[in-house]
Amino acid sequence: MLEVTNLNAFYSNLHILWDVSLSVGEGEIVTLLGANGAGKTTLVQSLFGFIPRIEGKVVFNGRDVTGMHPYDVVKEGLSLVPEKRELFPKMTVAENLELGGYSRSGDARDLEEIFELFPVLQERKTQLAGTLSGGEQQMLAIARALMAQPSMLILDEPSLGLSPLLVGNVLDTVARLNKDGLSILLVEQNVEHALEISNRAYILENGRIIREGDAQVLLHDDEIRTAYLGF
Amino acid sequence: MVVSPDIALQVVIWGLYAGCIYILLATGLNLIFGVMKIVNFAHGELLMLGAFVTFTFFTISGFNPYVLLAASVPILIVLGVMIERLCFRPILGTGKLNEIFISLGLIYIIQNAAAIIWTDEWRIIHSPYESITISVFGVNMPLDYLIIIITTIAILVALYLFLRKTTLGRAMRATSQNRKGAMLMGINVERMDMISFGIGAGLAGAAGTLWAVSGQVFNPYMGSLPAIKAFAIVIIGGLGSIPGAIIGGLIYGIAENFAIFTLGGAWKDAISFLILILVLIVRPTGIFGESSE
Ligand SMILES: Nc1ncnc2c1ncn2[C@@H]1O[C@H](COP(=O)(O)OP(=O)(O)OP(=O)(O)O)[C@@H](O)[C@H]1O
Ligand SMILES: [Mg+2]
Repeated sequence: MLEVTNLNAFYSNLHILWDVSLSVGEGEIVTLLGANGAGKTTLVQSLFGFIPRIEGKVVFNGRDVTGMHPYDVVKEGLSLVPEKRELFPKMTVAENLELGGYSRSGDARDLEEIFELFPVLQERKTQLAGTLSGGEQQMLAIARALMAQPSMLILDEPSLGLSPLLVGNVLDTVARLNKDGLSILLVEQNVEHALEISNRAYILENGRIIREGDAQVLLHDDEIRTAYLGF
Repeated sequence: MVVSPDIALQVVIWGLYAGCIYILLATGLNLIFGVMKIVNFAHGELLMLGAFVTFTFFTISGFNPYVLLAASVPILIVLGVMIERLCFRPILGTGKLNEIFISLGLIYIIQNAAAIIWTDEWRIIHSPYESITISVFGVNMPLDYLIIIITTIAILVALYLFLRKTTLGRAMRATSQNRKGAMLMGINVERMDMISFGIGAGLAGAAGTLWAVSGQVFNPYMGSLPAIKAFAIVIIGGLGSIPGAIIGGLIYGIAENFAIFTLGGAWKDAISFLILILVLIVRPTGIFGESSE
């Protein structure tokens, strides 16, 4: 479904990603792990054409989307919940959601369906997005991305800055979306929880993929456990 | 000097009229700034072009000059779209300094082009209602003032409905609030730049027609003073805020009229800077501006 081959990314002269290759299959949920500054966000942003200079190839649903404008990538059915959420702070929750369906003019997802998944958003429907709590904003960012009925969703650290209870909440939601058939690429720092809900995982270090494999195998790998789980 | 209540009311209503042209100008500036984060220093020149387009069509056709809004607005929209495509699009994202120099350069290009087409003589046109005075709330005012106030309100209501109720308008607001977020919704933000510049220029064109109809003189170099007043209003109301432009314009128009009444006509142009300086001292982000960024 998503096929990334030998991707290199640069910020002016800084070479950030080095020959990164990864893939996500239909209906799969794949986690991308890596320490702070490893290049996870850069990788995700490259897929959407936000990084001005990239080399390599990104194929989505059989279409070469390398170097496409972000707004055209989205129209291909690939949606992103970005690290900084990027909500429209002075618009209501409902308006944010409606804009989520912009690329699907007409056949966007039903608001009611979204509210079933995220009841808290229904209560906050007429509230300005900028006034929501961190957890609510994250829910809105995910819900907004779903409005476009994407065939694949990428989430960049959706649990960042949330309380432990909410982290579980968000990751459970992600797992549920995957069970309903959505392909997912998840960037996470909560290694244990992320691996538990994933099929496969990649580990990025200093801009290079250093390990990949079955999530359950990695979860029980001693090297991974000492490096990322601290025991 | 004591100002009696009816004179005060008269000054306020005349101030509404005086504010209208600057509100249209300031609203366009804020729309463009909101979406593109560019300050269009050549905005006064677009007003000047609106006045000359009105002048030319008026001379040729003899139509009621208010009807000529139907010429000045679309022509300026097309011109605005061309300016965005040819001047600002190529330098998108290359830095603020380039944008500033492009828009400063545009001032001289437009002024000189206008001088070639229309010569640099001062022009004036006369509204057919010039000699009609009516009474509103007991205040006597020229009919033209009332028409200008109503026209401005109609334009602003139309703009409000466009931005609030249409998909395109919502996409423009989204782009101004979060450009990256807008792209992730599949919004073609460069197209939003183009449309916002077009609408901003169209509003300046409308302001130009109203400037001409209100009997004020114009030549190719007249755009800078109204532009400076519009910038003052933008700063009073807060950069990027359309309600701020409206309130700022009203405050400005009324203050200008009070100054003329109490201090004399020589203060007309100075007052905008006094207000501006006061606002900058009290609330540097403007009345409706963001406290950060
Ligand atoms: N706009 C930029 N210009 C230059 N360097 C950048 C820019 N953004 C990120 N970097 C650098 O690129 C590297 C990778 O950053 P990136 O944000 O992709 O990491 P990350 O894995 O997402 O980290 P985190 O876990 O903190 O989100 C870092 O060294 C960072 O300093
Ligand atoms: Mg990151």
